[in-house]
Amino acid sequence: MLLNEDHRYKDWVLFKRVLVHLKPYSSLVALAILLLLAVSILNLAGPYLTKVVIDDHIKAGDMKGVDVIAGVYLSVLVFSFIFQFCQTYLMQVIGQKVMFDLRSKVFSHLHKMSFSYFDRNPIGRMITRVVNDVEVLNEMLTSGLILVFSDLFTLIGIFCVMFYLDWRLTLVVCVVFPFLVTATRMYRVRARDALRKNRIHVSELNSYLEENISGVDTVQCFNRETKNYEKFSSVNGERLKEDLRTVRYNAFYMPSIDFFSSLAIAMVFWYGGGRYVQDEIQLGILVAFIQYLQKFFEPIRDLAEKFNIIQTAMASSERIFELLDTPEQIPESVPSENDFKLQGDVEFKNVWFAYKDDRYILKDLSFSLKAGESLAIVGATGSGKSTIINALCQFYKIEKGDILFDGHSINDINKYDLRRQISLVQQDVFLFSGSILDNIRLGNQEMGQEEIESISQAVSSHNFISNLPFKYEQELNKGDISSGERQLLSFARAIAADPKILVLDEATSNVDLETERQIQNGIKEMTQGRTSIIIAHRLSTLMHVDKVLVLRKGEVVEFGKRKELLQQKGIFYQLCQSQIRLEQSKVEK
Amino acid sequence: MNNLKAFFPYVRKYRREFLFGIVALIIADCMTLVVPWLIKEFIDILPQKPAVEQLLKYVLFLFLISLVLVVGRYGWRKYMFGLSRKIEFDILNDLFSHLLSLDRLWYQKQKTGDLMSRATNDLRAVREFFGLGILILIDAAFVIVMAVTMMIWINVELALKVFIPLPVVSILFFYFVKEIGKRHVAVQEHLSKITEHVQENLSGIRVLHAFVQEENEKNKFKKLNQEYIQKNLRVTQVFGVFTPTMVFAIGVASMISLWMGGRAVIANDITLGSFVAFNGYLMLLSWPMMGIGYVFNLTQKGLVGMTRVNEVFFAKPSIIDNGGDFTPTGKGDLKISGIRFKYPNELQDALKEINLTIPCGQTLGIVGVIGSGKTTLARLLLRFYDPVSGDIWIDGKSIQEIPLKGLRDYIGYVSQEPFLFSTSIRNNIALGRGNASDSEIEKNVEIAGMTSDLESFPDHLETMIGEKGVTLSGGQKQRIALARALFKKPSLLILDDSFSNLDSEMEEELLLKLKTHFKDTTKIIISHRLSTILNADNIIVMEDGSISEQGNHSQLVKSGGVYASLFRSQELAREMEIIL
Repeated sequence: MLLNEDHRYKDWVLFKRVLVHLKPYSSLVALAILLLLAVSILNLAGPYLTKVVIDDHIKAGDMKGVDVIAGVYLSVLVFSFIFQFCQTYLMQVIGQKVMFDLRSKVFSHLHKMSFSYFDRNPIGRMITRVVNDVEVLNEMLTSGLILVFSDLFTLIGIFCVMFYLDWRLTLVVCVVFPFLVTATRMYRVRARDALRKNRIHVSELNSYLEENISGVDTVQCFNRETKNYEKFSSVNGERLKEDLRTVRYNAFYMPSIDFFSSLAIAMVFWYGGGRYVQDEIQLGILVAFIQYLQKFFEPIRDLAEKFNIIQTAMASSERIFELLDTPEQIPESVPSENDFKLQGDVEFKNVWFAYKDDRYILKDLSFSLKAGESLAIVGATGSGKSTIINALCQFYKIEKGDILFDGHSINDINKYDLRRQISLVQQDVFLFSGSILDNIRLGNQEMGQEEIESISQAVSSHNFISNLPFKYEQELNKGDISSGERQLLSFARAIAADPKILVLDEATSNVDLETERQIQNGIKEMTQGRTSIIIAHRLSTLMHVDKVLVLRKGEVVEFGKRKELLQQKGIFYQLCQSQIRLEQSKVEK
Repeated sequence: MNNLKAFFPYVRKYRREFLFGIVALIIADCMTLVVPWLIKEFIDILPQKPAVEQLLKYVLFLFLISLVLVVGRYGWRKYMFGLSRKIEFDILNDLFSHLLSLDRLWYQKQKTGDLMSRATNDLRAVREFFGLGILILIDAAFVIVMAVTMMIWINVELALKVFIPLPVVSILFFYFVKEIGKRHVAVQEHLSKITEHVQENLSGIRVLHAFVQEENEKNKFKKLNQEYIQKNLRVTQVFGVFTPTMVFAIGVASMISLWMGGRAVIANDITLGSFVAFNGYLMLLSWPMMGIGYVFNLTQKGLVGMTRVNEVFFAKPSIIDNGGDFTPTGKGDLKISGIRFKYPNELQDALKEINLTIPCGQTLGIVGVIGSGKTTLARLLLRFYDPVSGDIWIDGKSIQEIPLKGLRDYIGYVSQEPFLFSTSIRNNIALGRGNASDSEIEKNVEIAGMTSDLESFPDHLETMIGEKGVTLSGGQKQRIALARALFKKPSLLILDDSFSNLDSEMEEELLLKLKTHFKDTTKIIISHRLSTILNADNIIVMEDGSISEQGNHSQLVKSGGVYASLFRSQELAREMEIIL
């Protein structure tokens, strides 16, 4: 944690990458900076006009001249107002656009990731990337970056004006700079260290807090309240230590700027005053100098305050880029074809697959299906049934061997084209918020209501939908429909996508008998005219399929036509025998 | 106001620091106010051609003032900001401890993300209110009063003229802050919409990818995002006018000061030095003017934060620990009599009149479809909820009268999706008790069938789990959770579908080991897979919150009811597990 938090990306690399996102808006950025420059310069007018009033008009007792200067000042203010408004608005527009781009990019990139990425990364963390981290980065762009520019302009501007007014006095005032630079450097090194350590403690603290909230049952079950509190409090204490360290550094540094500022004014008193006495300098210049010096140290203080924001934003951008730099595991190897259609032939040819390292889940797996045939896969828990589905839909990449569709290798088919031809029905049905209608036409958004109703009728889901208060327009909330009904809904959803290949992970015992009967009917209806692969949990399913694959620890034990397997009297035969035995015992009773 | 009051004790604890901070602040402010006056004196004396010593006197004076100023500023930063950090530390500690005391009924209504944001963002708002907010308020009030007094003292007429635009600033401020706040709420609401969208997308990502909905979802997201920008820009519209307006108003004030002041100097109403000092005081005013608005903003956020933090603090657990010193021995029976339970906000009872006796050392099997009340029953035993009516008796004592700690030590509960902490495997297993010998842990690891798995991990028992370490399979998690529960040496072991990710071979092995090593432990086994409970002494079938069938396996199969048909529908699965 400590290691990869620290030196994965260098700060300036990150900064440059953030800046790259400004490129599409470079002309807007240029305009914003120009406006900023104008505002900074106009803001310098005050002390200079004061000087003019004192030296040129007050001295001469010229009331008219004072009126004129007041008029000039007013117009400066008006322009400054307009420019500043434009600049603020423009900068926000740019910041929002960059945030929009970045957020869309992160979101799109997440959608490019394969399932193994989602297996590894908790959802909460990914949400933080898309939502919060991008938000923080925006803050840095709009307030942080711009303020740095405006502070810099102000600093340079004041320096130039002072130099113009009296270069000797300026040089004398410069004596405080080495001290200021040294103090700033000392502060920066220490503050950065404290902020970094603080960040690590904060993230540790937050993840511990989150863990305890999510696992509060377990904490209470094991009477861990006191112990966990002690641990939390000690991490919290560590954080407080770093917090107080930051406070202390700020408490030293910020007043030191004030001190240097006063020192510089003292210089003006002494050297400037002396030269005035010798008539080498005008009074107005001294006044302007004092006013400029008071303004001069504001940006420096400002920059130090912004330091914190920028550090946090750096951490966020680091996490965003880390995500964006995660390579797509299954890149689009071939371009999508417009009218891609499969016949439905499927062949697994010596397929090897492992989720991790070389712990193979599928070992040299081969089988083939003709278009329109149905296959039941049977096997114990962990034998690799679901893995076959994951490989078929190219959710994961297979190590060795090949999967052929209509004789074409899976590598030569665009993965999105392929998935459009396959419908997947899983045991745990995930439904999205929105109406029933939206959920059914997930894979085919243009489908009309009538078509959907006829599909629903075919898979026996029409009945329960008609009984809902808003029928197909019913918004789905938790607990509205039972798990059996969810299953039926997922059938309709699968058929609405009009697939050539249907993959079905049969639901286990979570439904009552009536729903089970409906589900069986639905399955029969769905598999009509489609190549279908069913992970079978019920004997009744086995009676309807053309082919059977018996799987053990990732290897094929038996594969063939159902009838042939029965004649071979192998394992499948044994499975069916027990069914018959049971039926007989029922009859005898 | 009550919300604010709840935080007083935290402040009171650090009242000395608070006092120091305020004193330091006032000292610093006084010094700041002296500087323009010093400049006035300096400028007024210059035309009289002072000697070098006289000039040096001013320099020295300024130097001294700066020193005091530095000390003052250092003081208020250290004390006020330090104080707010310490308050945050205390509140966060208390919040954590309070969160751990709340019960499931409360947690069911919460979202983790929301609780997190209360403990982080809202608490930060509270901190900023107590640190920055109070500081700026005092600072601004003091400086405004003093600076205005000085300006009036220099020249009343000039001061009145200069102050003309200033009330506009305050009025605008209140309007702007309100408007910004309103528009900001819209932004926040939209942001949570985006969060929800992303959350749903990621939860259902497998379905979305299977249905090739990537492009559609991206477009939907883009639209949401676009709206978000619009709402953000609406804030900017106000904000963009706001800051320049402030600068403008103060600018106009200094313009008037320059204009009228300049004329006054010429008319000999005030000295040049007073004119400069007047400007200096006006400059000092510009920050507090904005500061007042900032305080308003901080206060608003702080109060919202306090309300939200307090919602957690004011929540009371509905499960009351009645204390006492009764420790169940595990020698008596477990009796459930007439239990009824209803979840809040649900129409139907989750449990209806459950009556059950589990003799000590026996095994009870529970089956039933999802939502039939199996897990609810287990949670009532743990007192995650209290029943609406009826009672549960352990060793002849109502569980209401058993201290929570004792009750939870008595029960070992393993759920289907156990929660493991991101620490070492050892710490996860030894969760229930502090002092753990290696041999004891290893024994439980062995019983839970994790020995060979552990050997394949890089650091064996010390291997870290989660983000920082290995990712465990569902089966491995379930077995570590089993080892963790067994390590407590519970008298009652509840397995809530906790073998669902294991193959039947492993499951059978585990059941056998449990039987030999934990012979005297009363066991409740909830399972979807009937093979798990085949040998239980007593099996109940739950339907809609009540017991519909009861008996041992052969009795239930013979009776030909729900259990029998369930048994039949699992025939294939079972045969497969046996044959394959």
